[in-house]
Amino acid sequence: MSDLMGLIYTGEKGEHMGDLTSLRDVAAVPVGARYRAIDFVLSSLVSSGARNVGVIMQKNYHSLIDHLGSGKEWDLHGKRQGLVILPPYQTPDNIGVYSGLLDAIRSNQIFLRRSREGHVLVTDSSMLYTAEFDKMLAQHIKTEADITLMYSTNQGLKRNGSGHYLRLDEEGRVCELENAPMLPRFENVYMEAFLIRRDLLIELTDRAVSRAQYHFTRELLQQAIREKSLSIYGWRNENPAWRLDSVQAYYNCSMSLLTPEIRAQLFRPHHPIWTKMRDEMPTRYAADSKVSNSLLADGCVIEGTVENSIIFRGVHVMKGAVVRNAVIMQDGYVMPGAHVEGYILDKQVTVRDGVTLCAPPTYPVVIAKGTLV
Amino acid sequence: MIRKKKCVAMLLAGGQGSRLGVLTQQMAKPAVPFGGKYRIIDFPLSNCANSGIDTVGVLTQYRPLELNAYIGSGAPWDLDVSQGGVYVLPPYHTGKTGEWYRGTANAIYQNIPFIQQFDPDYVLVLSGDHIYKMDYAAMLRHHIEHNADATIAVRPVPWEEASRFGIMNTDENGNITEFEEKPKNPKSNNASMGVYVFTWKKLYEHLVRDENTPGSSNDFGKNIIPNMLADGCVLTAYNFNDYWKDVGTIESLWEANMDLLTFPLPIDLHDKKWRVYARNFGSGPQYIADTARVSDSLVTEGCSVSGTVKHSVLSTGVTVEAGAQVTDSVIMPGAVIKADAVVLRAIVAENAVVEPGAVVGEPTGNIAVVGQNVTVHAGQKVAAGVQLEQ
Repeated sequence: MSDLMGLIYTGEKGEHMGDLTSLRDVAAVPVGARYRAIDFVLSSLVSSGARNVGVIMQKNYHSLIDHLGSGKEWDLHGKRQGLVILPPYQTPDNIGVYSGLLDAIRSNQIFLRRSREGHVLVTDSSMLYTAEFDKMLAQHIKTEADITLMYSTNQGLKRNGSGHYLRLDEEGRVCELENAPMLPRFENVYMEAFLIRRDLLIELTDRAVSRAQYHFTRELLQQAIREKSLSIYGWRNENPAWRLDSVQAYYNCSMSLLTPEIRAQLFRPHHPIWTKMRDEMPTRYAADSKVSNSLLADGCVIEGTVENSIIFRGVHVMKGAVVRNAVIMQDGYVMPGAHVEGYILDKQVTVRDGVTLCAPPTYPVVIAKGTLV
Repeated sequence: MIRKKKCVAMLLAGGQGSRLGVLTQQMAKPAVPFGGKYRIIDFPLSNCANSGIDTVGVLTQYRPLELNAYIGSGAPWDLDVSQGGVYVLPPYHTGKTGEWYRGTANAIYQNIPFIQQFDPDYVLVLSGDHIYKMDYAAMLRHHIEHNADATIAVRPVPWEEASRFGIMNTDENGNITEFEEKPKNPKSNNASMGVYVFTWKKLYEHLVRDENTPGSSNDFGKNIIPNMLADGCVLTAYNFNDYWKDVGTIESLWEANMDLLTFPLPIDLHDKKWRVYARNFGSGPQYIADTARVSDSLVTEGCSVSGTVKHSVLSTGVTVEAGAQVTDSVIMPGAVIKADAVVLRAIVAENAVVEPGAVVGEPTGNIAVVGQNVTVHAGQKVAAGVQLEQ
């Protein structure tokens, strides 16, 4: 029985992924040929032994609920525990739109109070990553930390003017935190995920919100680090990670999955990434198909050419069509003679005969869900 | 209190399937992988789910471990319901009388108490060695409309093969007048598909009577059906003309896999309204490398292809390294075809390894088979028709 539970915060503001997030939350963005972004952290929690996971939702959470269902695919549909969906609701305590993570946690305090696990892993969904949370918990207990912050030294996660950056001392204690500096000075990128004792989380959020503090990192955390009022450690996650904060970032993340080393780290035999099943048949490659350096899901029919691309479930690339450096989401249809290069086609996009869509890899373009081009 | 069920399905999954040779050395025939991500049993189980039959007894006997693990709670086929669902029914001891299943009819006979707890009106008897999509609910309606005691699904087979099957001769109303098991001179080419609907009361009577007949083979085809005919029961034929393939032999299993490589598909597995479900193991997407050449093939999740794959089926988690050539073959889950190995007209079973430079199969002749977990060593040649075992 694991002493770890998870709390995933979705629906944070400041997403700039264009049409990819106009109708869905960033946690629900399709990624990696057959997943949605939330699958990675959810599967990591399950692999780390967590059996009680709450998902805080706001705004456009329809596709997220549709995706998660009862949590069955992640083995989170137990009687004693499982997946708990926490949509916004209006009561005197909960105004439905959260001012920040602290506000969201306090509004869902009942869930935390009813849980039995000693420790909570809280993460937002602005990054795509996998993690061995069990190792993080082991360090958290060993160091007797109040809070352990997950960080990465992956410099691809740095952004000028946004993000949080940490300075650690030799023992791994966090002694400085920068909030959205124009030029980040520290190498350690905070991954917006932390581990804390459940009772302490309830106490801290209650205290902070009662003093009109709503932001965990830039208010509570920064103050605690400055005043040394809590023992805060860092835990380094060495797995690949991506910040999903722009169309370009999404595209780069997708393309990096074509690298064998990245895939080997992401899809490991004993840490499967679970997702909602579609029960598609295997993908069919016709006699004239030409596919190279691409990642494909099941249920596709490939009759044309596919190069350096990510192809989701149920995509049909017809004879004479060319797909290059592209991402084509679920049930896309590329008709004969069409040419798609450097584009991201959201779900159910059809590109008609002879149409050419061409964008440079440095400026990928999104076509919204269901569009007929 | 168990709710009454209109129809309970009994799936005969106990046979050894000895004609599949090394492929069934470690597992029962219904557990044999098929079509990249399926196992044979996925087809009857998915048919049940799609036909609205939610209570299925799976009769196991020979090497049930892999099959039991695969079926699990029945969740992949929506058979994890609280009233009914899927039940694995092995033979068991009852003090002095415990025994193995002696025949198909005896297997059902021994499970009469299981069936009776659902108080069904009808029992559907299925076998676990065919690839087909069939609406059992439509067959049940046919049975009810014809006031039949038994309905047998039949399909036309080529006349020259008719003597290999159980042949049904019918009158103008579709009622069965004669049943001939593997006749030398068949009078019709309507072969039994091994799919039966029985009115439970009638079947119960005949199962008990057959059990008390000394010397009976306790078999549906040999005993129950002929006895019901002799007894004046109403037996109707239910015609089925869609894709149906027996996969009881190495050659037919290979052929059925190859059938999935034709455009258009002879059996539509893309159909969203009639999904064929399978257990999923959380593998990643398939990766086709820039050195790969994949054509005319079926590739599924977890595969990594860097070599040349022509007219073949690759199952979950298969690796084909650069320089390897796979042609006209079926590669089962987890197998690895290493660099510069050649696999031609062959079936490579689960987790087998074909080492660099090894050659499996030949351009003509029978299908070569590499058994489960077997390693074909570098430089080794496996000739056509050879079955390599551990």
